[in-house]
Amino acid sequence: MIDSMSRIAALARHNTVLRLRDPGQFLSYLVMPMVLMLALKPLFERAVTGGTTHIATGTLVIFSALALSIVGNSTLAERSWHTWDRLRCTRASIPELLVGKTLPAYGLLLLQQSILLAYGVTIIGAHPHDGRAYGLLLLGILVWGAALLAIGTALAAVVRSHGELSAACDVGALTLTTLGGAFIPVTMFPSWLQTLAPASPGYWSLSMLQHAMRGDTSGTLWRAAVLLGVGAIAAAFAYRRLATGWGRSTTL
Amino acid sequence: MLHADGLTKRYGAVLALNGFNLDVAPGEITGLVGHNGAGKSTFVDVLCGLVRPDSGTVTFNGRPLAAARGDIGVAPQHIALYPGATAGEHLRLYGRLAGLRGRALTTATDEVIDALLLTDFLDRRVGLLSGGQQRRVQAATALLPHPPLLLMDEPTAGADPQTRESLLAALRHRAAGGTAIVYATHYLPELADLQATVAVARHGRIIARGTTTQLLDGLPSEVLLRTAGTDDLRVHTTDPARTLTTLLQNTSGPIVEIDIRKPSLDDLYRSLAG
Repeated sequence: MIDSMSRIAALARHNTVLRLRDPGQFLSYLVMPMVLMLALKPLFERAVTGGTTHIATGTLVIFSALALSIVGNSTLAERSWHTWDRLRCTRASIPELLVGKTLPAYGLLLLQQSILLAYGVTIIGAHPHDGRAYGLLLLGILVWGAALLAIGTALAAVVRSHGELSAACDVGALTLTTLGGAFIPVTMFPSWLQTLAPASPGYWSLSMLQHAMRGDTSGTLWRAAVLLGVGAIAAAFAYRRLATGWGRSTTL
Repeated sequence: MLHADGLTKRYGAVLALNGFNLDVAPGEITGLVGHNGAGKSTFVDVLCGLVRPDSGTVTFNGRPLAAARGDIGVAPQHIALYPGATAGEHLRLYGRLAGLRGRALTTATDEVIDALLLTDFLDRRVGLLSGGQQRRVQAATALLPHPPLLLMDEPTAGADPQTRESLLAALRHRAAGGTAIVYATHYLPELADLQATVAVARHGRIIARGTTTQLLDGLPSEVLLRTAGTDDLRVHTTDPARTLTTLLQNTSGPIVEIDIRKPSLDDLYRSLAG
């Protein structure tokens, strides 16, 4: 057990160093939503009931989904550098490799969401209902971060290049979060699009965070359960693919 | 003792391993040679646990390979390093993954730094290093934890003479200490430097196995006689002394050059692998 923890710690430390040396993408997914929140706040306050909360949570959901590419690139780089197979030759088991690999990325996702949420509350003016709402928001961030981590890793396990990953993350994140109502509230969609909205994980994430803002425990928890289910499926898929490596494909 | 018995592995229509057998004793360096596609890298992948054979078994010191995973050091054919991490960070990562900590990690790290001449670029990011320097870092990650079995898959491909010399010296030193080494390569003179036994792979199986002397026995030498004003005379013969004597008796012009080239591993390789 100690050996296992030691190996995970070594991998996590190594990956943290690599992440910190290349912070550009992370910083851009912090600065852009902050600017966007500020610029769109007046519009949403006038146009939408609860517009301040919506612009804070919606922008958080959109840009945290875009951060899928950080997770995906972190995993896919192991393929282009041939390091994943090298790691598989060590004493570390596949679960140890995956935990050590993804922990730093999970930390970044949580950090991004926490900063954006704090910004949304302190600068933009979104108001969590009570003390319990803060706890639920923390839970929401943990769950959404875990789901994104699993989805990003699964994406990296199926795409054939960094270009494909970039396209999948950008198009997928924007499409699914917009479909989920993160930009324009679902209530303003045409009815046929409202019907499709729950197909997007972004819908459940936004809805979970907005219920958390209101301090609605049960509403937050069951949406969190949906996201955990999505994350579990993605994680199982990613594990299955990465346990056998990428073989001798030379696509990259 | 590494013991591979009857390994087969098929990738679609390609039979990469076809009854691959190989034994490597402690302290023995086995040069694994063969054309591209002969099965060398697939065999190394099987030993690393990256590929599961369709049939056959591999044991190391009597244990199934899966149980001996921590006993194997690997330097893969491709450079498999993190461009954004320094050479020193690589050593610490792979040392810790091998279970080394504290003083043991420091001692092991210092040893490979000295053996493979890494001091000058230890704190530089690997992405900024030359190909030869990267090869040395990669080899160091394999040697670091003193595994009883080393798998080196073309570890000097594209490497400079300094890299080659330092690596071969380090491997000879490890073998002298009892490490079993499988050394896949296309550079056959390296095997002579390593005093390695040789296994020639072809179409997924070993077609010749032995010491260099055993394998070269019976192969013809080449006798060259160059005289002024005539074409070079080259004769392949298993009795070069007698052949040369005969040639000299039948030569009238002034002799410019005489050379006898003994058979090399390249000749063996060509004669066996076709």
